[in-house]
Amino acid sequence: MSYIEIKNLTFSYNEKTNVLEDVNLEINKGEWIAVLGHNGSGKSTLAKTLVGLLEPQKGEISIDGLVMNDEFAYEIRKKIGIVFQNPDNQFVGVTVRDDIAFGMENLCVPREEMLEKISFYAEKVNMLNFLDSEPANLSGGQKQRVAIAGILAMQSDIIIFDEATSMLDPFSREELIKYIKTLHQDGLTIIMITHDINEALLADRILVMNKGKVYAFEDTEEIMKKKSIFTDSHLELPVSLDLANALTDNQEYKEIREKLWEYALMK
Amino acid sequence: MKSIIIGQYIPGKGLFYRLDPRTKIIAVLLIMISVFLLETIEQLLIGLATAIVLLLIGKISILKVIKGLKPIMILLIFTFIFQIILNREGETIVSQQMYFTGYTLLLLILAFIVWRILNKLVKYRFTLFFLFAAGVFLILSYVDFGPKIAEPFTFNIYRAGLEMSFFVVVRLLIIITLSTVLTLTTKPTDLTQGLEKLMHPMKKIGFDSESFALIISISLRYIPTIFDEANKIMLAQASRGADFSEGKLKDKLRQVISLLVPMFIIAFMRSEELANAMESRNFVPGEKRTRINELYFSHRDIIATIFSFLILALAIVLKVM
Repeated sequence: MSYIEIKNLTFSYNEKTNVLEDVNLEINKGEWIAVLGHNGSGKSTLAKTLVGLLEPQKGEISIDGLVMNDEFAYEIRKKIGIVFQNPDNQFVGVTVRDDIAFGMENLCVPREEMLEKISFYAEKVNMLNFLDSEPANLSGGQKQRVAIAGILAMQSDIIIFDEATSMLDPFSREELIKYIKTLHQDGLTIIMITHDINEALLADRILVMNKGKVYAFEDTEEIMKKKSIFTDSHLELPVSLDLANALTDNQEYKEIREKLWEYALMK
Repeated sequence: MKSIIIGQYIPGKGLFYRLDPRTKIIAVLLIMISVFLLETIEQLLIGLATAIVLLLIGKISILKVIKGLKPIMILLIFTFIFQIILNREGETIVSQQMYFTGYTLLLLILAFIVWRILNKLVKYRFTLFFLFAAGVFLILSYVDFGPKIAEPFTFNIYRAGLEMSFFVVVRLLIIITLSTVLTLTTKPTDLTQGLEKLMHPMKKIGFDSESFALIISISLRYIPTIFDEANKIMLAQASRGADFSEGKLKDKLRQVISLLVPMFIIAFMRSEELANAMESRNFVPGEKRTRINELYFSHRDIIATIFSFLILALAIVLKVM
């Protein structure tokens, strides 16, 4: 049984059009999944149903064997954390320390333990020197890192990034990606919703959503070879991969193709 | 927008900084009650002296407290003036013949204009105001020549009026000084937490002090963010031709609406996202939570509380005697 299982998931806000339609997914522990899709393809809705913020009309979500319902939502949320797009709107605490503590406070973690975990995880996202800082004095990237620390402190092992880099400057974005890579190496399951195909290339598997349906869900290297998937979903491949795909399977281009792939994945 | 200071808190290390917020709130309340029990001028002066001694002990700059008094200064001046003019009990202390002639009127207008101009140029506005008031008094008293506009009248100050105005002003001064000490030395978050703990017993009558404290602390946290946003919207509207500083009242009102409507909409959107973020981190309203910021009563707090109870006891004894 997979770590995250989604079966026949259907969701609609107004019962007329389905934002999610019959979504079936299986995600393994420790995998890095990138979710791509045009605006309104249901990416964010999928994320919200996964943490139980929205209740699907049909279907079932189970995480680590727990089925999402009113009874287990609390338990499931311990395992899964979500970093939202706007760094400001998820910063609950008055200081960095308070914000990292917020989730643990809700879980009734004793104060001594909280203090230990706060320094440990603040260190991990390189925010230890900012524990007493107020959000107004932090950059967007720093706030997103605080959000990550808050989730890690709750001992969650799945983190969803819901376009978490889209409001950051290029430097902070790259930095955040670096932290996500370390999280992946530490064995966390990562679901990264993004508009940026270069970011998606870092994932193990890519899920392409189109009009609320799973359009494709394949290994990164495989899916990148199928240009039609992306054009159908109004997405664009990086130029280097476009070029690699355009070169025929001829043996003499093999080396160039490999170089282009390497180049694209390095980003 | 990094310099917004919420509340009056100024970081420091004096005695009052080390007290538990609960102690400070209780002490301020007790001393306030004591101040209202005082009856004679001597007692009030001692009270004022005590307040100043407290400031000195806490190493709080008196200048900062005076700054904190500024918004209330006008209220103080008006109570003072009204008490003096309207209270007509007791013996007369000052009796001054006053005249109102054409020259008086001319001089008054001149004095007013000079005051307004200087007001824009000089820093010490309150001193200036008092000089202006004194000038008006002198003009009314001594300019007795020129065409008569009104009959001469006598301006009397009565003992009770003077005493009452003194009472009101000194009482307010003490109370404001005390509350300024509280807000200067306590972080807004600590203050809310102190209030939360003190109001905890009210849970029995259905008042959820924890949610209340959370609401306050989130509001405090979002003030700079929303301020920032207001600035952005103002710039955006200004670039579309809105003018927030000029125009008639009606135009100004319309401009303000162009600021308020987007701000409300954005605030609602924010709050929804915030609610999602909080819920995804397992927040359940009304559920038991542990706290990262704990309050601790130390021996210092016990001494301070006993001290303020003693002040109250003293005030009660004085009142009864």
